[in-house]
Amino acid sequence: MEFKLETFLFFFLAVSSIISAIMMITRKSPISSALFLILNFFTVSGLYLLLKAQFIAVIQVLVYMGAIMVLFLFVIMLLNLQDKSKFKEKYSYKKITSLLLSILLFCILSFTLYFGFTGKFKAMSDAAGDLGKAETLGAELFTAFSFPFELASFLLLAAIVGAVVLAKKKFN
Amino acid sequence: MTIDQFLLMKNEILLIAIAVIVLIIDLMTDNKKILFPVMIILFIFTTVIGFIYQTDGELFGGMYRSTPLINMMKNILNTGVLIILLQSAGWLINKAENHENIGGFCFILISSLAGMCFMISSGDFLMFYLGLELATIPIAALVAYEKMKFLSAEAGTKFILSAVLSSGILLYGISILYGTNGSILFKDLNNSVEITNLQALAFIFILSGIAFKISLVPFHLWTADVYEGAPVNITSFLSSISKAASVFILLILLFTVFINFSEIWNELLVYLSILTMTIGNLFAIRQQNLKRFLAFSSIAQAGFIPLGFIGGTSLGASTVLYFLLIYVFSNLGAFGVVSVVTSATGKESMNDYNGFYKTNRGLSIVMMLSLFSLAGIPPVAGFFSKFFLFTIAAKQGYYFLLFIAVINATISLYYYLLVVKAMFINENEQPIEKITSDVYAKLGLAICVLGIVFTGLFGIIFDYINTLSKGI
Repeated sequence: MEFKLETFLFFFLAVSSIISAIMMITRKSPISSALFLILNFFTVSGLYLLLKAQFIAVIQVLVYMGAIMVLFLFVIMLLNLQDKSKFKEKYSYKKITSLLLSILLFCILSFTLYFGFTGKFKAMSDAAGDLGKAETLGAELFTAFSFPFELASFLLLAAIVGAVVLAKKKFN
Repeated sequence: MTIDQFLLMKNEILLIAIAVIVLIIDLMTDNKKILFPVMIILFIFTTVIGFIYQTDGELFGGMYRSTPLINMMKNILNTGVLIILLQSAGWLINKAENHENIGGFCFILISSLAGMCFMISSGDFLMFYLGLELATIPIAALVAYEKMKFLSAEAGTKFILSAVLSSGILLYGISILYGTNGSILFKDLNNSVEITNLQALAFIFILSGIAFKISLVPFHLWTADVYEGAPVNITSFLSSISKAASVFILLILLFTVFINFSEIWNELLVYLSILTMTIGNLFAIRQQNLKRFLAFSSIAQAGFIPLGFIGGTSLGASTVLYFLLIYVFSNLGAFGVVSVVTSATGKESMNDYNGFYKTNRGLSIVMMLSLFSLAGIPPVAGFFSKFFLFTIAAKQGYYFLLFIAVINATISLYYYLLVVKAMFINENEQPIEKITSDVYAKLGLAICVLGIVFTGLFGIIFDYINTLSKGI
């Protein structure tokens, strides 16, 4: 097999993103969970770069790793989670069942992907490289996809009003 | 874009306009009570316009489409939300602590309805997904409305987590479908979708994502807790309007995009239907809290809906629409009475309703009619809708499914009659005192009763829906 840097990078990023995701949900301290989440976001943005989506990769770093993670850390700091025993869960039938079910799902997915599909994915085209640029992405967003764009803005407005309704009510 | 094309979206535009007007009035005035009548008048206007002005066509290269059938679906949803807004007036206006939030409450309900309308008229998976999120995310704030109560906070968390999980599954399915077909437009997919292992997997993911919203068993586990913890009016919104909208989009997807998959979904829906009916019924029998009882009964009712999908006929589509029209009326009638009683006395248990007829004749008769309609007792409308669904299954030769459905309809009759017995026959030393409900609630319940009685008696309504369903 011919050695390609892209293939190597993909496997490196994919494996490290899976490991960081698993580390994130198994850590006891919320701060280290949050730090592993940052690592996970970073590897995912690397995967975006491999897909030639430069703009989305940059946005991923700016918004998720920058803004959202700062919020997460602030909340963790303000809540001051002392009682860590609440987060611990003993091995129970629930855990074992969910582990078995997720292994089953993994098997089904990998089987279908490996044996059930031959040929090339239709969505991949050579022009995909251009789409990753901010310029082409913006042009698409404000012409062909302007309507979904407006709808997404209304969705954000509705979510803000929802948050205000929840926060405004006085504590008794 | 000409004005005619723009008017295709009249329902959504009007809804968003009302929502924004509500928000502006809310910011401008201190007396929040005047907001409510203005909003109700505007909303009635929108609902009536929906019935009068029919549209047909598509916009934005097929991203948005409108047919007479889709119009009818939107009309059903509009009417349902109108009833819910009328019913929640007592809860919002009579309680001083809710005055602050009248604007937010109405804005969220109406924008969620607009999201459902966008979802139903979507012509590609992007619009479908955005509509679905617009219909779901804001509602989470209202589910957790009484945030200081443990039950309500738990309900909000469960609601948002199950919504996120179902969206994730749905998006995974959509991404596989996009990868294998190279398009997310329904009209392109309609020609290119074929049964391969990967695409069948994508279909199953999409079906499960929507089944979460309809709360078909085994995707129902969030339902009972969320319905119990949320305020009554939000519960009635989730159990009738949300459910109906998800069934509509499932109907459109199955009958247009996934019509080639009909042999897969026929089998799947048979199992889902049998599981949903049986488990919903078995849990409903044991409930003592009336809200929880209605939640499980709504799960069981959702189990009857897949009977109409079987075979993929247009008659089946119109039967599902007819069933949901009547289900919305009857479910909202039952929830309306519970809402009036809860906001006046705070009592929810079934034992509290003993001797209810002695003190509140009108309310108990409305409750009885709604429960009879849910159970399917002639001559109220629920009988006809269930009967038509059974005929669809019988025509396609699914006799085993029909047998299970009839058994379940009989079991459900037992527990619906338990409530009626409690209200009319059981003795009680201290029944719930006489409740005088406000004019809004009376109007809402009157619309429900008219719907329950007349939709069944006039065959012309079913014929009208049937003529529309030819062009899904």
